[in-house]
Amino acid sequence: MSRLAGRHNPIADDGDELRFCSTCAFSAACLAQGYDKQALAQLHVLVEHVGPIAEGEHIFREGDVFTAIAAVRAGTVKTSVIDRDGREQVLGFHLPGELIGLSAISDDRYPCNAIALDRVHLCRFSFPQLATLAARMPGVQEQLFRLLSLDIGKAALLSGDFSADERMAAFLVSLSRRYAARGFSATRVHLTMGRTDMANYLRLAVETVSRVLRRFQSQGLISVDRRELQIRDLTRLQTLAQGVLRE
Amino acid sequence: MPRPEESAPDLTKVNAGHNSLRKHASMDAISSDESVRLRHYDRPGPRYTSYPTAPNFSESFGEVELRAAVQRSNSDPIPRPLSLYVHVLYCSSPCFYCACNRVITRDRSRAAAYVSQLVREIALLAPLFDPDREAVQLHLGGGTPNFLAPHQIEEVIDSLLVHFRLAPAATRDFSIELDPRFVQPGDISALAGIGFNRASLGVQDFDPEVQRAINRIQSVEETMAALEACRRHGFRSVNIDLIYGLPKQTLEGFGRTLDLVTAARPDRLAIYGYAHMPTQFRAQRQINVADLPAPEVRIELLQLAIERLGHAGYRYIGMDHFALPDDELSVAQRGGALRRNFMGYTTHAESDVVGFGVSAISHIGDSYSQNPRDLPAWQHAIDAGRIPVWRGLRLSADDLVRADVIGQLMCQGTIDIRELESRHNLEFKSHFAAELTHLAVLAGEGLVEIRPALIRATSRGRLLLRIIAECFDRYLHLPRPAGAKVAKAIRPGRERGGREPAGGSPQPDRR
Repeated sequence: MSRLAGRHNPIADDGDELRFCSTCAFSAACLAQGYDKQALAQLHVLVEHVGPIAEGEHIFREGDVFTAIAAVRAGTVKTSVIDRDGREQVLGFHLPGELIGLSAISDDRYPCNAIALDRVHLCRFSFPQLATLAARMPGVQEQLFRLLSLDIGKAALLSGDFSADERMAAFLVSLSRRYAARGFSATRVHLTMGRTDMANYLRLAVETVSRVLRRFQSQGLISVDRRELQIRDLTRLQTLAQGVLRE
Repeated sequence: MPRPEESAPDLTKVNAGHNSLRKHASMDAISSDESVRLRHYDRPGPRYTSYPTAPNFSESFGEVELRAAVQRSNSDPIPRPLSLYVHVLYCSSPCFYCACNRVITRDRSRAAAYVSQLVREIALLAPLFDPDREAVQLHLGGGTPNFLAPHQIEEVIDSLLVHFRLAPAATRDFSIELDPRFVQPGDISALAGIGFNRASLGVQDFDPEVQRAINRIQSVEETMAALEACRRHGFRSVNIDLIYGLPKQTLEGFGRTLDLVTAARPDRLAIYGYAHMPTQFRAQRQINVADLPAPEVRIELLQLAIERLGHAGYRYIGMDHFALPDDELSVAQRGGALRRNFMGYTTHAESDVVGFGVSAISHIGDSYSQNPRDLPAWQHAIDAGRIPVWRGLRLSADDLVRADVIGQLMCQGTIDIRELESRHNLEFKSHFAAELTHLAVLAGEGLVEIRPALIRATSRGRLLLRIIAECFDRYLHLPRPAGAKVAKAIRPGRERGGREPAGGSPQPDRR
């Protein structure tokens, strides 16, 4: 997919002072509680659009004081930590509609780095007291817990003893589903992460990432041209991913 | 690449009908009407070995940008394999038609200095590429690559072998351009020993009158001896280059050359048109304008070549190139797997081209870049430990779409609209509304067929692919840089005859 395409890097149906963005991670929960954007403002929850943030820029760093969580509106955000040996460990990739900063909720500081992988636009939710908000809006709390557990679940995916093929299949299926859930194509994905980040996240060697993808390609599961991924056989890919995705 | 709905026109078939849209029409029957029309399109136009073309490269693209481009290309999920190009700058004798970037010298000692500089350049550039990227193609062009002695060529290849991971011998292409006049006994066997398995022999024309007029006296015997030696030493394919439109050229003389050449059955043939641009290319000032064939004779010469090659069983690949039906290029074209890069047509999946030597062009990731065209600037950069980049550009999203369109035209003669729309997430009709109006004119002339899902060059249009491609060249509508000139459409400039002279794309554009 070319960079011309809006499909992969959209700021879809932007919100305004009164309406939530169509990709908003919270709008459903808030609206279900009868809170629109104005009502949130009255609770001193500041919802603001941030960006664009350029490729490679930090959104926050490990140890920064926690002030807000943010939803990705466009682009991809990578979260990672630096281990004792100074090596980066990629924790995850956050696509449009997904949240970053959630893991900071239990603490007062961000426990990881967040870096823009391409041009990123965010929706920033800053609140003086998360507890207040959550208490006033049980739905929001539920949503937070749900998102939090999803986040933990995602990290757990790769901790099992899985083959390179299974890991890669699970990764591709997950990307496909997450994009599809936000209304984007499930079969054509622009890969915003390089193979080094992919390898790091999947705990594979860089060469292995390419080898597995090349094999998938020759088996007719996918085709890859530079950063453009086309999923040609989602069913077989899902079968391969079953173990990892616990389905 | 999409599979074309129809294979390339079969030149061996006899033209039966008069319908301009007939399928599988032979091209050996160009009517006088068509001849007039072809002449009408004998006007300036770029060659599209790259899009955007070299004159649009910018000096604001330098070493920093090149390093970033390599880095990006390394991080692709499946990084592209590499094609290596080495430009040999020297020739020992000046051919008057030449528009190539070369230096004439009889001083062989300059070869050794050039080789050691190349080795240093390779050592500078190679470490930028991730080690798991395989080099599948290697090409030596020039100039005259066999200006270098085999042991000097070996020194360059050894250095490439040390720094790059070469594909297994069975799958890799090692090709070299040879001037048969300077092939010594034992050279070909030495080159085969180094790993070369493809060669391209320059012939141009065997007519003695023409040879005198272009300052290139070359016997049939020495040419055939080189060809035979290549075969004897297991070269997978041999190409012969001819040029039409040369001074003193006649239908009779060129016809004899065509007969001699087709009888030798080279796997591939290239017929380039000579473009006379003496103000740009000093060597061409030696050519007497009065000796050049008239425009209608040029067309007849081309027509004669197409006819003879067709009868001899060669298939037209596109852009001046022909191949026997069982040659890999023909097979790849039938299967929709043909590609084109600075080294000409290739069967390898898309690769990144890394160029070495004076004026060499690289195509890495979404970038083009070119080395300095003059020897001192190139030497100086390498001496300073810098990667010698003179100019280049990073392709925009729009460039990428158009490069895809033009690449499809050049390789398949067809644009698969649906496939393109899906690949680039656009609506062809609205995205290329202006271009379609240009194309409609060409459709009216019977050069191109426009259907909802397909745009296809007709058999006539396939001789004028660059004219069709021009419709998609956004840069043609912009003011050109001062002094920029382009080769003529049916006078496809060639490496020694005016290839993309504006700003110089000195890299070979063959096969």
